[in-house]
Amino acid sequence: MVNSDGQLFTIEGIAAGLIMLLTAYIVVSTTSMYTPGDTHISDMQLEQLGSDALRMMNTPNSTAESGQSMLQNIIKNKETERFRETFLTFCNSTTAGSYDNLQLSADLYYRTGTNTVNKYHLTHSRNLTGGEHAVRVTEWVHLNDCNNLCGVGLRPGVQTVLVEVLLWRD
Amino acid sequence: MLNDHAYLSIDFLAGMTIFMIAFIWVATMIPGLLISLQGGTIDYDAVAYRTGVILVEDPGWPSNPPWEIKDDLQKDDIERFGLSIEKDTPNILKLSKVERFFCSTSFHYPDDYQHRVIFGDRPYLFNISLSTFDATMSHSVGDIRPDGYGYIRRLVKIKYPSNSTINAPNFRNSGLSANVTKHVFSVQLNCTELIRNITNLANQIPAYQIPAYQINPLRDRIMVNISNMRGAGVFHPGANNGINLSAIEIFRQNPAQPFGKVREYLGPDPMVSVYIDGGTTTVPALPASVTDNVSVIFSPGFFYGMASDNTQLYINYTYKLEQADNFFNNSFTIPYPYDYNHVTRPILKEGVLEVAIW
Amino acid sequence: MARLNDDAQWIVLMGFIVSFSLFFLAIVVNQSTVVGQTTAEGVLEFPKNDIRSVREEVIACSDADMDKVLKDMASIAMDRKNAVVSFRITQAPQGLPFNKTFEIHYNNGVTAYNETATY
Repeated sequence: MVNSDGQLFTIEGIAAGLIMLLTAYIVVSTTSMYTPGDTHISDMQLEQLGSDALRMMNTPNSTAESGQSMLQNIIKNKETERFRETFLTFCNSTTAGSYDNLQLSADLYYRTGTNTVNKYHLTHSRNLTGGEHAVRVTEWVHLNDCNNLCGVGLRPGVQTVLVEVLLWRD
Repeated sequence: MLNDHAYLSIDFLAGMTIFMIAFIWVATMIPGLLISLQGGTIDYDAVAYRTGVILVEDPGWPSNPPWEIKDDLQKDDIERFGLSIEKDTPNILKLSKVERFFCSTSFHYPDDYQHRVIFGDRPYLFNISLSTFDATMSHSVGDIRPDGYGYIRRLVKIKYPSNSTINAPNFRNSGLSANVTKHVFSVQLNCTELIRNITNLANQIPAYQIPAYQINPLRDRIMVNISNMRGAGVFHPGANNGINLSAIEIFRQNPAQPFGKVREYLGPDPMVSVYIDGGTTTVPALPASVTDNVSVIFSPGFFYGMASDNTQLYINYTYKLEQADNFFNNSFTIPYPYDYNHVTRPILKEGVLEVAIW
Repeated sequence: MARLNDDAQWIVLMGFIVSFSLFFLAIVVNQSTVVGQTTAEGVLEFPKNDIRSVREEVIACSDADMDKVLKDMASIAMDRKNAVVSFRITQAPQGLPFNKTFEIHYNNGVTAYNETATY
């Protein structure tokens, strides 16, 4: 014999289940699912390291070198090999002596006599295939003259150029 | 007759089953929700970044007098460690700050560091290490890193202070009147020139970089080496004339105060080290016998209390000989200037600083 | 049926309890991820290194080179970073404790930075 009392537990069970599922659904859909990768922390660390490396290369070690930094000399003399090696040594060194695995691709941007901005590819340690998650760091560099880079298209005389490095972990 | 009170009703079973199924379903969703909750490492990275910035880009507090010249009794005055020379020179660290920061006899891991450089609500543990690329220096403080720590790596340059090497025979007095047993040699620290009128430097480097290459006697280590003393005598050359260093005195002159003696080396002093003939321990007292060379190192901050940026400081060395001779003496001419043209200027060395937090 | 039977209401009550605890758990989870998230994004979004590099280049610039350097920086910054960079260097009057005033302006659309530095 069916009476109306007999379905109370079922109805309440269904109600409780629906409430829990609905809450869970709302909670899961509104809680943003961040993984450490999404939070850009590794980007932040790479960018800081790359900026530091460029800044340190652009700081002379003593006033005895007539105030010219290593980066200024490297660019003026077009020592692309030295740029790559120095930059990689700076970025990859650790205090424990082990070696990190960062790769770079560097370009130089300059303004020509006709007021257009041109690019000169300095160097790279690995080809960029497009799959890397690279960060971009830049440094302004003051040049007295174009020296060995005159042939590339830089104006003679004083100018400011931008060194741009793409940096990624291999 | 059987009664059915001992059995659960179909209704209760159905309701409970539906509830349990829903509950289990929801419970299985919770780990998925928590999988992103590696809050620990995310927070650790942020704290590591902040610690890195404080160490590398901040000169610390108090700045005047600078925290690194506070001795162990005054260490409670230090509010924040920061290794950079000044705010304008991020990434360029000062050697004296670095050495003080990593001094394990003064500061205890982790308490002394936690509220001066790590900050934050919870007592984070850490490992901070610094080494130069040429491997001449390597410091670290903290525990061995466990799994799962926050991390940042910063590149820095460390400013090594100036030093001066004086070849004694180049400063020999001459003439009969100079043929005496007592000789005085004076080194001048012209604070006005070194700190205020920095035109010497300003022509070579941009203004914001000056602190990175400047000689600042009030805050930097000052080192004077006098070499080849045995070659300084004329009538009794060599070490057979009983050369004695009898006094090292500091004289001061500035617009507000008359010329006068402010300090004298009286024996072991935490701020002054006197090494004779390449010895590795500071001499216990003067006079002391010298064969060939004398090296004096004034620790950073030694001159801080006795001078300002308009003061002339003179370091006077008095030597006594057993027999009268012409010797290492500039008291009749001009004092030896400790300036950019006469000393080995400060140099910067590249290094890497790592901060790990957990 | 004379009155409603409320024997079964504890089941729905448990449903509510579970729902509420889930809700608070979600709040906690949300808050904790936000910590690292905002730090890293804040650091990346604020062009600290960019501004420093611009500032150092400007202060290193002498009067004679000002026009060239300004043109170089303005056009390269616009081309590569979509940022407006401009500056002005003026000689300070005699008797002041500094020689030059540098007015630096930087704007990349998100962050605007203006500084008057004296050296």
